[in-house]
Amino acid sequence: MSHPTSSQQMMPPQNRKTDRPGPSRRQFLSSGLLAGGAAVATGFGATRSAAAAGDPAITEIQDWNRYLGEGVVSRPYGVPSQFESQVIRRDVEWLTASRESSVSFTPLHELDGIITPNGLCFERHHAGIAEIDPSKHRLMINGLVDTPLVFTMQDLMRFPRENHVYFLECAANSGMEWRGAQLNGCQYTHGMVHCVVYTGVRLKHLLDEAGVKPSAKWLLPEGADASAMTRSIPMEKALDDCLVAFKMNGEALRPEQGYPVRLVVPGWEGNMWIKWLRRIEVGDQPWQQREETSKYTDLLANGTARRFTWVMDVKSVITSPSPQAPINHGRGKAVISGLAWSGNGRIKRVDVSLDGGRNWTTARLDGVSLPKALHRFYLDFDWDGSPLLLQSRAIDEAGFVQPTKDALRAARGSNSIYHNNGIQTWHVKADGTVENVEVS
Amino acid sequence: MLKFPEFALTCGLALLIAAPVEAAGDPEKGAVVFKKCAACHQVGDGAKNRIGPHLNELIGRTAGGLDGFKYSKAMQDAGAGGMVWDTETLDAYLESPRTAVKGTRMAFPGLKDADDRADAIAYLAEYSKQASAPAETKTAAAPAESPAPSTTVETAPGTAANQPIPTHGVLHLGRMATPDEVAAWDIDVRPDGVGLPAGKGTVSQGEVLFTERCASCHGDFGEGAGRWPVLAGGRDTLKNDRPEKTIGSYWPYLSTVYDYVRRAMPYGDARSLNDNEVYAITAYMLYLNDVVTDEAFELSRANFSDVRLPNEANFTDDTRKQEAHYAVPAEPCMRDCKADVTITSRARVLNVTPDGGNDDAATKVD
Repeated sequence: MSHPTSSQQMMPPQNRKTDRPGPSRRQFLSSGLLAGGAAVATGFGATRSAAAAGDPAITEIQDWNRYLGEGVVSRPYGVPSQFESQVIRRDVEWLTASRESSVSFTPLHELDGIITPNGLCFERHHAGIAEIDPSKHRLMINGLVDTPLVFTMQDLMRFPRENHVYFLECAANSGMEWRGAQLNGCQYTHGMVHCVVYTGVRLKHLLDEAGVKPSAKWLLPEGADASAMTRSIPMEKALDDCLVAFKMNGEALRPEQGYPVRLVVPGWEGNMWIKWLRRIEVGDQPWQQREETSKYTDLLANGTARRFTWVMDVKSVITSPSPQAPINHGRGKAVISGLAWSGNGRIKRVDVSLDGGRNWTTARLDGVSLPKALHRFYLDFDWDGSPLLLQSRAIDEAGFVQPTKDALRAARGSNSIYHNNGIQTWHVKADGTVENVEVS
Repeated sequence: MLKFPEFALTCGLALLIAAPVEAAGDPEKGAVVFKKCAACHQVGDGAKNRIGPHLNELIGRTAGGLDGFKYSKAMQDAGAGGMVWDTETLDAYLESPRTAVKGTRMAFPGLKDADDRADAIAYLAEYSKQASAPAETKTAAAPAESPAPSTTVETAPGTAANQPIPTHGVLHLGRMATPDEVAAWDIDVRPDGVGLPAGKGTVSQGEVLFTERCASCHGDFGEGAGRWPVLAGGRDTLKNDRPEKTIGSYWPYLSTVYDYVRRAMPYGDARSLNDNEVYAITAYMLYLNDVVTDEAFELSRANFSDVRLPNEANFTDDTRKQEAHYAVPAEPCMRDCKADVTITSRARVLNVTPDGGNDDAATKVD
């Protein structure tokens, strides 16, 4: 950590008691350390040099160790520490024509474990965030059914409920990287993924209520927002593991995630997880909607395009170190942390390379391993201070191995936009900074 | 869950409004008229006596006959004299309360417009079982009861448990959708023409509409303004380094154009075009993409499925599993996997949220 060099840096970003004089020497020192801790610091050795006189973080009495903090319910709905204010969704404004039809990205580099906090789950809207009064929300099932039905939210909650942890990845995640390294941060290259525990009811149960006719082969879920989002989904998937979910991580869905109810299509591309779900039509063939013809189809080098590429392939990324999360300590013990996932099921193994893919070490998968959920991996290693070319390579339980970006381009060209699950390379430099690169 | 009783009132109202009109008045309009009364009167689920008595089960109620409400002497006398609230007595009372029941405490000057009175009475009738038919009608045909069974007709506590359980399905949850409800939401159109509404529109009509409603984003000729989608041109560019994916160059089916414009366009004013206008705009898209060349061309349900878009044949199923890196399962290399490693590409956007002008840096997110 670096010492403060300006009064700007000295003042901690926290509330100070107003009835006391300005910063004392004690405050000066302690706040400098605080500011250094909150910001991204790249210098080394602060703690070592402070050690002679004793670390003021220890030898001085801190405000929080002396004065009372705020009481209960001062934050009726709790929010993160003020020192975590940089942990937010971000967008790339020039990427799209309007923020109402755009994306924001999950700050993967700041997170750990496998569960994404609700307020940090990436957003993808096609007509802004629909703000729906649940008392006015209806879910209709119509088409090739014995009885077309309407459910209220209250009706939905009378079905048997289930809880499942699933990742949701936008098909266009890493889509900007097809032509080579582009955006400098894993929030931007890989941040269109999140993973939460959903509470909901089986779509199968809703369909059973309406009574699906034998000729029924496809479903068309539809959203209630101003894009009235629609996707065709084959009946087998609907009956297999789709959920109609109303909770995420234990609380109501966030409006930006489809409140009051969304479709969950485990392992399949995020666009199919219709938010603000208001209708499911049952039919005997796909509808060829805009989002499954002009979009979410994968254009190949030969000019043909794949359609109905639903499964999200095996994929991984090192979240730290990464361009937004540089190494800010010296040589010695270091932790590589990353995420792996596959729409085919569980992750069986993740390998990590420090030398751009010449040699690989199997990483440690930590925590629960759930099908179609994020997996956390770590590689604990000794950094000798020399530059690194970090890569991770995931293998799923179906045996699929995450391919290189060059292999994908050899098979598809560079115009697919979607389904880029190629191996990511981060170039760690001697000063600890990290850059998004590709290697031979 | 505790929220639902509160929601029930709104639910009940919304659905009742959609119920078939039984009286001469329009209950939907009556709901608006009733706002003038709502400062003093409640109606619907959980309605209580306020400044005035609650108005559930008003039709057939003896004037001044609600237990627990302190009526004026005049109103009690009217009831004792045999006055019962029905369409006729309510109409007279609402026209001029103090004329109809001299001495009433109701300070309201009255509704001078006969239609307003009829509408308000029709609205109130929805909350009265004894009103000519609505209670039965609602249960049988209208979408009234499901969100909160206790809300619509029944107001006495505990009636939810007495609601009949539907017979459909396995768990008997939800209620049947009415044909009108299905029609209101089911607007999707398939390539075989299923779902197309009646209607028609010409290229020329479409040009006028497009210029007015669409061109600000998509450009006068579908060329796209800024980063808004390009709709026309781009033919034979799909193998290019920068393909231009438009309706003419990429989209496989015309039905998608009709469906999407009808459900989601214009951006920010969805569902504002009528079916003929959508036909006209779709026809204009064909013209901009040289699929039709006659400005007099008229697109309709009858000829819609005859039109084919040029790129239809170039879509395939998912063939990812046949790709070399997936097709041959092999234990991945762990040691000395390649001779040397050099950096071939560096992030083109180091400052990740630059301010514009970097359009060539990355592919658009679709």
